[in-house]
Amino acid sequence: MSIMKRRTFGKLVLGAGVAAPFHFVRSAVAQPQPGDELIVGIWGGAQERIVREFVEPALVDKYGCKVSYVLGGTGERRARAYAERGRPSFDVIYLNIYESRQAVTDGVTQAPTDAVANAEYLYPLAKQGGYGVAFNPCTIVYKTDKASSPITSYADLFKDEWKGRFASPTVPGMQGIAALLMLAKTYGGDEFNIDVGFQKLQELKPFAAIQNSAEAAWQMFEQDIADITIEFGSLANMAKDSVLPGITIADPVEGICAAMNVACITTGTQNQVLAEEWINLHLSEPCMQAYMRQTYYSPTVSNVAIPADIADKILTPDQVSRLASFDWEHIASAQAEWSSRFTREIAG
Amino acid sequence: MLVAFAVPMAVVVLLSMHAYSDPFGPLLRPPSTAQYAMVLGDFFYLRVLLETLTLAGGVTALSVIIGYPLALWLVSVPAKWRALAFVVILIPLLTNVVVRSLGIVLLLAPDGILNGVLGWLGIGPFRNMLYNYGAVCIALAQVFMPYVVLALYDVLQGTSPRVKEAAESLGASPSMVFWTVRFPMALPGLRAGIVVVFLMASTAYVSATILGGGRVLTSGMLVYREAITNLSYPIAAALTLVMTVASLAFSAVVLLVFRKLTPWTRAGEGRANSSLPAIPVWLVRGLDLIGPLISRGLLVIAIILLLLPLYLVVMQSFNDVPQASSAKFVGFTLKWYEIVLQNGNYTAAFLNSVRLAVASTLISLAVSIPAAFALVRYRFPGLNGLAVFWALPLSLPGVAIGVGMLQLLSIFFRLPPFLGLLAVHVAIVIPFCISLLVASVLQLDRAQEEAAASLGANGFQRFFRIILPGLAPGMAAASIMAFLTSFGEVTVTSFLTTARMTTLPVRIYADSTFMLEPTVHAVSAMTMLLTLIALFVLNKFLRLDRLYAR
Repeated sequence: MSIMKRRTFGKLVLGAGVAAPFHFVRSAVAQPQPGDELIVGIWGGAQERIVREFVEPALVDKYGCKVSYVLGGTGERRARAYAERGRPSFDVIYLNIYESRQAVTDGVTQAPTDAVANAEYLYPLAKQGGYGVAFNPCTIVYKTDKASSPITSYADLFKDEWKGRFASPTVPGMQGIAALLMLAKTYGGDEFNIDVGFQKLQELKPFAAIQNSAEAAWQMFEQDIADITIEFGSLANMAKDSVLPGITIADPVEGICAAMNVACITTGTQNQVLAEEWINLHLSEPCMQAYMRQTYYSPTVSNVAIPADIADKILTPDQVSRLASFDWEHIASAQAEWSSRFTREIAG
Repeated sequence: MLVAFAVPMAVVVLLSMHAYSDPFGPLLRPPSTAQYAMVLGDFFYLRVLLETLTLAGGVTALSVIIGYPLALWLVSVPAKWRALAFVVILIPLLTNVVVRSLGIVLLLAPDGILNGVLGWLGIGPFRNMLYNYGAVCIALAQVFMPYVVLALYDVLQGTSPRVKEAAESLGASPSMVFWTVRFPMALPGLRAGIVVVFLMASTAYVSATILGGGRVLTSGMLVYREAITNLSYPIAAALTLVMTVASLAFSAVVLLVFRKLTPWTRAGEGRANSSLPAIPVWLVRGLDLIGPLISRGLLVIAIILLLLPLYLVVMQSFNDVPQASSAKFVGFTLKWYEIVLQNGNYTAAFLNSVRLAVASTLISLAVSIPAAFALVRYRFPGLNGLAVFWALPLSLPGVAIGVGMLQLLSIFFRLPPFLGLLAVHVAIVIPFCISLLVASVLQLDRAQEEAAASLGANGFQRFFRIILPGLAPGMAAASIMAFLTSFGEVTVTSFLTTARMTTLPVRIYADSTFMLEPTVHAVSAMTMLLTLIALFVLNKFLRLDRLYAR
């Protein structure tokens, strides 16, 4: 039995020291076992159908795992993720652009990394606060026949022809936040000087109505209650295809306000690899194509071909680069105050 | 009840005493009244509270006015058809509240059915019927009126027709019979209906959100916004508790007023006359003339309000449009049914909902029957406190219970999902059962029990042969209400569903979070059809009329 030399012992200690952190890391990125279950918190409807068809089968085939869904609204999902911080019951949750940024800051979800292979193709805007999976920016939508000339700027909202015909989107809500931000931007303010946005929104009163969803907005258009609003362009294109062919989705010179759905991996997930692969598959060509076809959501990755027949409804790389983006973390922190202020000063 | 409601309630109380919002801070912190000071010292919050209470009062009044003739009609329907007549109130209650609210939108829209009919008569069009307090009031009455009808039905069913005959034989005209006999005898049911509807209307927010068009703000909406969108739990909790106290104060006033009006219901005080004021002769004569017309008119309005939105729901389920809210009928399609039937998740969710509703109903009845007897027949310290405690879940916005539950998620998720949801549902439906059963117990004729006792019947025999048959209509009404409330519950359930335990309303709500597709209409139409088939089959083989007859 030989006695270990001091140098050998030192090497072993050093090796063990280097390897020790790997032990902790390993437990977090343990390889998936057949039968593992990935829990995904997502919206219902078309979004659920798309991931069930284009993401789940590929993941299950590769790892022999199971995928389960907790369905519901962003609010409930986010509230639960916050309540479960560090011991999550979800592995992947979908949030909006500013909620995702805030969730990373609050330690509820992980910042994006290159562990997701397709993340290398993400536009820079889509790789913050998680992995952007779909752009659905907000802009002005109006009845074409009610406009004396096409709308090219947010300043056009103040034309006499729209007086009393504007359905203001409500705050909270991405569309309402977009209205405040874009009005502020148009008239010299920004997210740090939102007073301008509130003041200009106030000047648009009297509103034809206040709408709290795209559904409500289209219904107001149909019933001739309102003629113009600010909404998600993707949903407006879907309405244009079906019940509202006579609407125009504006492309103002000030830009279209960025908005996107973000897939986030929860902090403390026990299924890190599965979660990363889930998002990787979500960013793959088949899933992105399905989103474009079924919901007119624009891809967040640059390596996906845009079908020619719907090219006018999907953002080009150039348009993505021109999306109006803001300090979303600041917006998340100010959201409660803006919401209260909107209720008291604008809606009240 | 303790785990499912009292503990989350205690959490809400603790949250309301946090000086500031910190989603990750400890639950136990030095108590502060800062949130209460903010709510009570802010004119905005007080205005919203007042408007909410006024709205709830309006909804209650409307529900009573059009619900009373409907309850009278249900009582007058021949017993063998009565179970099927209940379709009028059962089907709407089984339809998702979002879908029903959309039906009201289609009814009141500038190009909607009501304006169409009025235009045909040469009136209107009225373009401002939507997106105001009136529209919200109508929508909430459509949702809650069945609860008044069920409460009234129970006591009206228990009123002997001989009482009416006796009054008529003494020369009372129809309106005098109504004012001096039938209406006073219905007061216990009316009291239960008023309290239930007022408390539910004061916490509602789904219909208010859809029909209010951003112009109507209720405290339920504020609580949801603060708690869920802003994650400001302390202010949401304080707002909830202030609202609860205000609602319970209203309930206490209602109970006191009705106590004065129904002296005969108090044990040991004999059968005193009604304290309703006398009405002048000219008014009696006028009411004799127009009363039947008004009653029939209100009955028609009630049935139209309950059923017409559902007709629109069925029509929309065949509409080839991507959005459920579209009023235009673009083309006929069965694709929404295909989607629902091909997606096994709807079936699983439906079965989960039914299982949960049946179990909640059975447990709630088992708890509510002894509780109702205790509240009516016994006097003990803390009786009033107990009565208020039972009513608490009704007066709290569901989202507040959900927020309380969120803080207890680690405990909750150790329970099997079904048991956890069952506990919460039982807590939510028990107040309905107790409210209705209290009215039923008040109606029981104690002389029959005394007669049975004097003939040697023991306690068990009296319970099963005298009390239980007498309680049957009340139990049927309570069961229906409990089942439907549990079946339709979405607010609290949406926080607590797991990947393997999703209910039908949560599934529909989840679908609506992206874009409300007509699949929700297809699901609702299929639920209606299933209910109709079930009632026909049950009525044929089980003689449901016996369940409803005293």
